[in-house]
This record gives sequence, C-alpha cells and structure tokens, in this order.
Amino acid sequence: MSNTSAGQGELLGDAVSPRGKLRPRSSAASKRWQTVVVTGLVFCALVSVFTTIGIILMLVVESWGFFSDDKIEIWKFLTGTKWTVGQTQGELSYGIWPLLSGTLRITGIAMMLALPMGLVSAIYLSEYASKRTRSLLKPTLEILAGIPTVVLGFFAVKFITPYMLEPLGDFKTFNATSAGIAVGILCIPLVASLAEDALQAVPNRLREGAYGLGANRLEVTLKVVVPAALSGIISAFLLALARAIGETMVVALAAGSTPTLTLDPRMPSQTMTGFIVETFKSESVVPGTLSYFSIYAVAAVLFLSTFGITLVGQIIRMKYREVYD
Amino acid sequence: MKDSVAQPRKHRSVARRKLFNNSFSVICLLVSSLAIVVLATLLIAIFSTGGNWLSFEMLSGSHRENNPEGSGIGQAILGSLVICSICGLVALPIGVGTAIFLEEFKPKGRLLRIFHGLVQLNINNLAGVPSIVYGILGLTAFVYMFGAFSPIRVNDQPDYEIGATYFYQTKTLGGQYVRFPAVPLVQPVIKIKQGQIASKINGDKFKLNVVSASTEKSKYANQVNKTVLLGTEAKLSNRNGNQVYEANTIGGEPFVFPAEATYSQFAKITDPITVSNSNGDTFSLNVLSKSEPIPTDPTILAQSVFADSPDPNKRSSASIFRENSLFHLHLPFSKSVLSAALTLALVILPIVIIASQEAIRGVPQTLREAAFGMGATRWQVVRSAVLPSATPGIMTGAILAMSRAIGEAAPLLAVMGGVLGTTNHLSSLMDKTPVLPVTIFKWAGDENQGFEHLAAAAIIVLLAFLLLMNSLAIFIRYRYEKKLS
Repeated sequence: MSNTSAGQGELLGDAVSPRGKLRPRSSAASKRWQTVVVTGLVFCALVSVFTTIGIILMLVVESWGFFSDDKIEIWKFLTGTKWTVGQTQGELSYGIWPLLSGTLRITGIAMMLALPMGLVSAIYLSEYASKRTRSLLKPTLEILAGIPTVVLGFFAVKFITPYMLEPLGDFKTFNATSAGIAVGILCIPLVASLAEDALQAVPNRLREGAYGLGANRLEVTLKVVVPAALSGIISAFLLALARAIGETMVVALAAGSTPTLTLDPRMPSQTMTGFIVETFKSESVVPGTLSYFSIYAVAAVLFLSTFGITLVGQIIRMKYREVYD
Repeated sequence: MKDSVAQPRKHRSVARRKLFNNSFSVICLLVSSLAIVVLATLLIAIFSTGGNWLSFEMLSGSHRENNPEGSGIGQAILGSLVICSICGLVALPIGVGTAIFLEEFKPKGRLLRIFHGLVQLNINNLAGVPSIVYGILGLTAFVYMFGAFSPIRVNDQPDYEIGATYFYQTKTLGGQYVRFPAVPLVQPVIKIKQGQIASKINGDKFKLNVVSASTEKSKYANQVNKTVLLGTEAKLSNRNGNQVYEANTIGGEPFVFPAEATYSQFAKITDPITVSNSNGDTFSLNVLSKSEPIPTDPTILAQSVFADSPDPNKRSSASIFRENSLFHLHLPFSKSVLSAALTLALVILPIVIIASQEAIRGVPQTLREAAFGMGATRWQVVRSAVLPSATPGIMTGAILAMSRAIGEAAPLLAVMGGVLGTTNHLSSLMDKTPVLPVTIFKWAGDENQGFEHLAAAAIIVLLAFLLLMNSLAIFIRYRYEKKLS
C-alpha cells in the first residue's frame, strides 16, 4: 500500500513542479527543509540500531572480562552443575546449569498454564464469544496484561504460596511452582491476544465453506480455523516463551535465591534473571570484580536464548503464514 | 485437514457431534472466565492486605528502617513521576520519528532499503528483549559509560561536571554551621581513583586498577605493575617542567599522571576569612589561636573557630560540600535519575515505535493523496495531513508505553540499585531517588512483616496510577477517533 503511495507521490511531485518554478525559493526551501527532517528521522531510527549494537557489544566485551579471568574456564561455565558466584564462603563454582534449569523449570510450569489457557481464551474470543461476553473478557485480559510484574511477584509470594500451595504439600516458602504460576498468569493475555489476532486473520470464506459442508462450530474451529492460523499461534507461543524466560521481578520475589539443580517444583530455584537481580539488590557490585562480570556472562546466555526464540517466532510468522488474498 | 471435514474418517452421530460442540463451548467459557477470577482474586488480596494502610502520612512519608507504621511512599511517588516524565520526553520524539521514517519515507535505493528492513526487524526483536538486559545496558552505557571515565565514588568529584558549586563547611564554637567557597587547587597529595590513566616512566600509558587490600588482590596477581591498593596516595612532583603526580604500583614500579586542580576534602582555617551562615549573613570568621581564651559572648562565640590545631578536640577544619543546581550534570551519569530515565526510555522505545507505526498506518491513504495533489512535499504531507490525524493513536500508544514504564522495576534496580529513601530532596538529575516498583520489591522481601501491608498499599497507589493513565488513553481514543471517519 505504501509502496504505491511512494510512486504516486513522486508522480505528483513531478506534476506540480511548474508551480514550483513560479516561486522557486519557497519550493527549494521546503525541499531543503525536508532533507534536514529526513536526516533527523534517520538519526531517530539509528537510536534503536545502536541500542542493539550496544547490547551485543556490551555482552561480548564484559563477558570476555569474565571468561578471561584465570579462575574461569568457559567449558566449566557451560557444563558445570553448581553455581556459587556471589556467595562469600566456600569454593567458587560457576556452572550455569542450576540457573538455566531454574529458568527452564519455571518457564515450563508457566507454559503449561499459559499456552492452553491462552489458546482456549483466544479461540473463545475469536469464534464463540458473543459481543457482550467479549466486551467483558477483552478488557479483563488487557488489565491483566498491564499489571506490573512486581505486583504479580508480590501476589505469588504472599498469596499463591501460603494459601494455594502450602495446603497441598511440602512447598518451601520460595518455590518454582508459585513463580511459575504467576509467570503463567502474565503470559496468558499475551498468548490470548496474539493468537486471537492470528485466528481473526483467517478469512471468513474458509469458515463459511466448512459450515456449508455441514460442519459445526467445533469442527470449523479445530479443523479449519486453527490449522489455518497455526503459524501465528506458534509464533505467539514462542513470544510467550521468550517473555517467560526473561521475566525478572516475579522470580526474584517468589522463586528464592538458591540456585538448585532438581526437578522438584516445591524447591526454591534461582533463575538467570533472579541471579542478576539478587546481585544488583545486594549493591555489592563493583566494576571489575568477578561477580560484576558474571552478571554479563549470565545476561549473555539470557539474551541469546530470548533473542533466538523471538527471531525464530518472527521467521515462522513471516515464512509459513498462509496468505489468502 | 480440510478434506477431513468434507469426508469424515469416522462417521459420528449428529447427537455426539452436538455434545462435543456444546461441551467445548462450555469449557472455553470456563477457561476464559478464569482470567476474571484471577484478576478479582489478585485485587481482593491486595486491597484486603493494604487497604487499611493507606493514609495521608503513608502517601507523603518516606521509608524508615524497621518501622512500617512510620514509613511512606512520598519520595517514591515523586521519583516515579519524575523518571517517567523524562523517559517519555526522550522516548516519544525518537519513537515517533522512527515510526515516521519507517512508514512514510520508504527509500528507493537498494542499500537504504536494506537499512530500512533491518531497522524494522531490529525493532520487533528489541520488543522481545527482557527488561533486565536493558537495565544492564543502562548500567554499562549510562552509569559507567563503558568505563571511559573514572567511576564516581561517594564524596568524590567526577572528572567532568557542570552545575555544581563546592564550598567548605565548618561548625563554629557556637554550634552554627558556616560555609565559604572552595577554590580548586593543585593538591600536594591526592588519593588515586579507579581507572586513572597513568603512564610509566618510559611513557607507556595504561589504566590503573585500584583494589582493596583484602579482596580481589589475587585477581591482579599478573598485573602487579598496573595495580595499586585502595587509598594509595600520589605525590606532586615536577618532571621536565610539568607538574605530575607520582606513585608506585604494588609491583614497586613508579608511574605518573598529570596534575589537575581539584578540591581537597578538608580545608585548614588559619586566617580570618569571610563566611556565610545558613541565614545568608556574611561575616568575618574569628579565628582563635590555641592559647586564646574562649569568648563568653554567644554572638562572638557563634562566629569563632579554633585555628587548626593538633589537638583533635580543638581542631576545626572545614570539609567539602557540594550544592547542586537543577541542571547539575556530570560524566559518567553514575547511579542517577537521568540514567534511570534514559534506560527506561530504551525499554519503552520499541513499544512507542510499534504503536505509532500502527497509528500512522491507520491514516486513510486519501488524505495523503489530497495533500500530494496540492503540491506538498513528502514532509509537508506528513506534518500537515498524516501526523494530525495519527496523533490520537500515537498518544494512546505513548500513554500505554508510559504505564509500562511506571511499573518497571528490574531496569531501575539495575541502574539505581535498591534505593529506599534518600536524606536529600530530589534536586537535580544527578540525584538518586526511590521509585514505586523498586520500593514495592524491597518491602515485599523485607523480613519485617509489617512492610508486607505497606507494599500492598503501595501497589494500590501504583494500580491507581495505571488506572488513571489507561482511562486517559481510552478517553483520547474515544474522543478523537470518531472525528476522523
């Protein structure tokens, strides 16, 4: 659409140039002014480019500070099963797996909650809901999406753990489950709104065709609409996954500050983001020290995983999108 | 898949299909309404925990250690509002500019088209970067500025600074505080700062590490000739006609760096000097020598100090203080309001850009064509036709981005640390301040159970702000979007 407008703009620009000759100064001035403005706009666009470059450069340079330390071997970082950086006593271990597994555990719990619930909500909103229920559900999801994550973290540690989980079994005060549930809650609106967009993008002709063949609403939804919107739904799932991995305040409050390598969801589990926040909270970060550099090494792993997932999600959405026009 | 609808593999009775259909719609409704249940539970839980703790004292006070009843969020509210406003002022123009560039100035050249596509892809990716990573970027880029300047410690003056006045302050024998302006001097002895660029005697330049004696000393074991202990002093000396400071590394190798005029931490008072007190009165300070008797008249006493003497009980030396003007700035930005606001601006920039792009895309093509038809240049079309009708959409997106910013805790925690209260009022962009989300985070994790209620009360205030901003966004959307079509 915009491409045609560019063509037309050029065409019209040529057509009106005789008028420009009548008042050459003002036309030339406005052209010059346009050049100035466009330069300014390019600089605005460059800010976001430099942000990305800055992030990557910073992670590479400062992680190098971590790995170039005599006590650190990159192999042990990637395979080690114990993490004691930032602790004052004991032997220094710096295997990423306890933190990574903490992130994966909490993300797993969150996804088990958010993916089915988000998708079902999306299906309901897009295919079933009447206007009235929609006008109630949609704002609710929007409000839920707008709740600051620190609030959900507070909810997880002060309500989900003591009132929902502790009656069920031997849950620790800080545990993976309550953090996972809270992260799931904040991912539901994300999945619901992105998946709903994908479902709504399926043209009505497909639905009508299926109805015409005698299918009922369930069959139309599950056998026609959802498969047609699958690329959009998967990219919604991946975005939610990236969001859950990068979620910080919920896990900092509810998941505890003990890095553990276990499958028990009742145990505390510090995540990568949790470790970073814990280090900042203690305010003992002095540039040049090992725990300062370790933040960047952990952040690099975090950035790589979220960036990779977001990128894959975008590629899926662009490449496998079914186009009906 | 589509075939299976036309020719079902299994023949199912109409009644069964109907049952499946109906039960699925019930399941859908139940699962979807769970969102309402969750939201209601959350709000009820928070209001029942914190509702009673809301009071005028709580809204205006500041944090007190171990005293939840006396603590409040006045400073935090102010801090959040100031940081969010600056963040909006920075992110909004840049974000709208980028959106205009992406939507209205699609370039024709091949190289520029690649740049264009790259920016678009990049923005979608930036929107998915966790906010804590932005926090670390803010810490590196704004707080420490990639280590390009020596970091600022407490009571230390930065390398580059404007908008600050330094003065020495001392207490007179009458208990009154008086001050006099400080003059930068080349000190005979100074303490060495972390990251100081120094050169060896043969001229090689290097960056000094300053380590405390107990920790991290072993880390620099292979760099002993680039390392000094914390508190090491360098002495002024003259080398080839230049004034330089000179000291030895822990490896015993001498190094020098150029001498600049700085303020010393303390000033000796030996001669009568003109000072001013807190009321703004200026008078000449009465300096007593050790042997002189102490005057009894309180007015004279209030204007007298002992001359600097070796007896610590009688010593009165003036120590340095800094007064910041509103436009006080220094490099690096250090842990300050400005660093925090710039970091938050980076966090919300992708959101502002994407929202503005959508608003601009929503402007009918006919408006542009009409403007082009009247001979407008592309920028004139944007400014006089596209932007005015896209403004409501842009404003809505901007407000929603701001409501994201006001609730962000992680980047602020990274950039300013967990500040709960400051003794000074927020007076310049270089000050630290507590903010609402970080306060909630710290209180929620406090061992004193009373702070749990206070955190809930602070959450209510935060949610009220969010409600206000969202209502404003809805109002703008409702009020102005109708006029267009």
